Amino acid sequence: MSINEDSLPIKRRTLLKAVGFTTAAGALLRPFNALGLMRSPVTTNALRPPGAVSEKLFPSKCIRCGRCVEVCPYKCIKPLDIHQGIFAGTPVIHVVDVPCYLCMKCVEVCPTGTLIPIAQEETKMGLAVIDKHACKSWNEELALCRTCYNVCPFKDKAIKLDALRPVVMEKYCTGCGLCVHGCPVTQKNGKKAINVEPIYAFGTSRGMTENE
Amino acid sequence: MGLSRREFIKRTAALTAASYVGISLPFSKENEAQAADADSWHKGTCRLCGSGCRLELGVKNGKAVALRGIPQSRTNKGYLCMKGMLFYKLMGNNHPERLKKPLYRARKDQPFKEISWDEALDIAAKEFAKAVKKYGNNSVAYYGSGQALTEETYIFQKVMRGGLRTNNVEGNPRLCMASAVGGYITSFGADEPIGSYTNFERANCFFIIGSNTAEAHPVLFRRIMRRKLDNRDSVKVINADPRVSPTSRIADLHLQFNPGTDLALLNAMAYVILEEKLYDEDFLKNYAVFRMGKEKKQVDFAKYKAFVKEYTPDKVARICGGNITPEKIRQAARWFAKSEGTMSIWTMGINQRKRGVWANNLIHNLHILTGQLCKPGADSFSLTGQPNACGGVREGGGLCHILPAHRLVKKDKLRHEVERLWGIPEGRIPPKPGYHTIAMFEAVNQGKIKAIWINCTSPAQSLPNCDKYRKGMRREDVFMVVTDIFPTKTTELANLILPTAFIFEKTGVYGCTERRSQLTVKAVDAPGEAKPEVWIVREWALRLAKELNDPVIKKCVEPFLGKEPDYELPKAIWDEYTQKLTKGRDNDLRGATYEVLEKLPDGVQWPAPTKEWALKGGTDIKFVRGLDPLADKHAKNDLPYQFYGPAHPDKKLWIWLRPQKGPEEMPDSQYPFYLSTGRIIDHWHTSSMTGRIKELMRANPYAYVEINPKDAKKLGIKPGDMVEVASRRGKNILPAKIYVGPCEGMVFVYWHDQAEDRMINRVTKDAFDPGSKEPEFKICACRIRKVSGPRPLEPFIVNMKA
Repeated sequence: MSINEDSLPIKRRTLLKAVGFTTAAGALLRPFNALGLMRSPVTTNALRPPGAVSEKLFPSKCIRCGRCVEVCPYKCIKPLDIHQGIFAGTPVIHVVDVPCYLCMKCVEVCPTGTLIPIAQEETKMGLAVIDKHACKSWNEELALCRTCYNVCPFKDKAIKLDALRPVVMEKYCTGCGLCVHGCPVTQKNGKKAINVEPIYAFGTSRGMTENE
Repeated sequence: MGLSRREFIKRTAALTAASYVGISLPFSKENEAQAADADSWHKGTCRLCGSGCRLELGVKNGKAVALRGIPQSRTNKGYLCMKGMLFYKLMGNNHPERLKKPLYRARKDQPFKEISWDEALDIAAKEFAKAVKKYGNNSVAYYGSGQALTEETYIFQKVMRGGLRTNNVEGNPRLCMASAVGGYITSFGADEPIGSYTNFERANCFFIIGSNTAEAHPVLFRRIMRRKLDNRDSVKVINADPRVSPTSRIADLHLQFNPGTDLALLNAMAYVILEEKLYDEDFLKNYAVFRMGKEKKQVDFAKYKAFVKEYTPDKVARICGGNITPEKIRQAARWFAKSEGTMSIWTMGINQRKRGVWANNLIHNLHILTGQLCKPGADSFSLTGQPNACGGVREGGGLCHILPAHRLVKKDKLRHEVERLWGIPEGRIPPKPGYHTIAMFEAVNQGKIKAIWINCTSPAQSLPNCDKYRKGMRREDVFMVVTDIFPTKTTELANLILPTAFIFEKTGVYGCTERRSQLTVKAVDAPGEAKPEVWIVREWALRLAKELNDPVIKKCVEPFLGKEPDYELPKAIWDEYTQKLTKGRDNDLRGATYEVLEKLPDGVQWPAPTKEWALKGGTDIKFVRGLDPLADKHAKNDLPYQFYGPAHPDKKLWIWLRPQKGPEEMPDSQYPFYLSTGRIIDHWHTSSMTGRIKELMRANPYAYVEINPKDAKKLGIKPGDMVEVASRRGKNILPAKIYVGPCEGMVFVYWHDQAEDRMINRVTKDAFDPGSKEPEFKICACRIRKVSGPRPLEPFIVNMKA
């Protein structure tokens, strides 16, 4: 690429300075935690796209090409920012904002096998867990809400109703987060009354051996 | 490292920027946390569906902060669905989009400008007066709503009929339960169900046909489900529906027939009841006669038997298709006839049909044949979709052919009685019924109606084939007044928008499905200059009287002059309606005064002729001596049931000979699919309210098309693909949901979405039942094709600025 630097509105040096300064400021504004840079960003309601390899391998296998981010028709996959240390640039889905609709396009385009092709119903991004203290149907005796059940793509399999109260069936739950997104209850800490816990992310994942 | 230095820097900059955006995310959601405790709690009724759930509004510092159910209520027993728990977010200043000032534009291509109430009412009166003077009394019309309070519907129709001398008084209940009215009147001689919700706890067999109770009436469904779960083996649930819905989950037997074959199915059940001698001979002898045809010719039992002979289970199973087998039909008929108390439940699936009245008749037939009526748990029970379709419109005279308290316009005696009670000259109300809904908007299209007042509803979205009727509403020579609380698809086409008070911001009565009238008293102030409709009509009528120089118009509102609009005015209107108009009628409400209604946790079921009876809650089951005071009063013999309904001079129940009749439009090679429309739990009607509640909108942000997996496979449609649903009238583009809901060859779309691309009533057909004039929303022919892969969609709600 050849760009005449003089024609740019700001000089390269200026830009570099600005970027350096902003990055430093960003780091200062947040309590800096050296360990944080090594800690996986995958946590409650923050999940890897379908078919992801174990979190132990993810940062080394993923080349941050952003193809999964690009292909996602619902714009639910986002690249992580620099605060995530070695995980910066890797894809994550915040299901509270936009859940995964399981269109399975991202697994097809991943060039490195970090996302392994997988069938829709075999996806295990996490497990939806109902917080019975916050859920209207479980907690408030006289409330009838079953939004999570209604929006679940595997209705009556992954989420069933027990006398009109929702129950998650571990075997079928894909962790897509549609239930989390739909849940009308938002708790003070930002969590919903149903949340996806990435319980499978740190073990060995499908298609991987222990030694790999 | 695969990145050049420049690339790396660029990315770092972008990521840094993103991280700042990211930081603020959790804070914006904190406001959604549940509301805190309240200073005071005020009793009222839910604004949404027709269940009539009683609830309390929590008010803190004059602001609505929470809603909770009332456990003593006989309708909901304290339960609420999420819609009912959250609609306080629309009250007072809680919602920024509420209409707060009258808005006017002389031409529909101009922007609206704010005007004062004085100017607004003057304009409305001048335009209506102009139309009446130039084009006659039938060039003006009122189109109301089953969501308006009874007092509002009553005063509107009084001014239109007594004042403006036109029967062009209609309302959206024509679109949802006109066929049920027709069915009740032709079969039982009296409108509205015989029994009550109490039968949910007493029935041993539920026959749910054409109703997705679980989503459309979730709180009532809880009672049915409870009954089933507590008596798993003894209570049977039969669900008949072309679509497997959440309601089907509790069914022992799901009859999935092809759309439009319901009449054959019901006749086949009658066949089994006759063949296997499951009918109640004594009941038939004492209470029933058989009739057929337009001239209501009486026939004998043998003739009916011969008629039903045509509908053998074998033949009908072939007509119905789907999963129907002769054995399933027999099983359903046996359970229906033999159980200790069978309760049929239906809504739009039966009513919104080309032959909706006939379908209603055939359900009633089964009940009359087997004597499943008036006994505990035995009932033929139509659920209503709107909170005040029964109370306000069916009883209050809100349709073109009826006057208050179940009086027919065309009956001279009843019409003159109303004129006398109102104190207006005889002959003031025209003897000819006005335009029914579809005819009314057809007349708007043709320019026959020059001024129309649309209150509390959005026909631009809710009419079938709505593009056709929106053309008329856009006409510059049609002056349109719209009263509403939010901008809608209809306010977009108005000349004058008048902001109104919402429930709990005004006082009035709602009458729910089970003949129960319930009062809601004002608890919070309306935002800005929004006013109760009763005040608007009174002030408008006074101006009309001046414009047209007609003292009779003033006479119509004279009893209400000088009353304070938040409580005294609706009370005066309610008193006139109940004490004068319902006296001696089958919906006698004289005992249900505001004082009585305020004392009770829920309300009063009519007939309630005295205060003492009303304070007990009124009449649980009609027509039964000892339970219904009017049954005792009208008793002609010693029989325990007295069917005194005003429409049947012989005081009998009528069993009708009604043949199978398919839908108006059948699928063909060009349009090979059935399209059916319906509802979903998170939204209600045109979603002008529920779409503005963040939690509900997030749960169901946009409409989709449900396609059977087998059809999807044939057409190569995957979940989330964008699919075009097109009919001869219009098209939608919707994301696909592949789901074993609709049967093969049928697709299903819910109708709440306001986005032009997803407004399914642009596709539906405006054919209507020749008896009830209710359109056939439930069935038309369409074709579907994939237009693209998944696309991100945005929820859409009409905005004033847009």
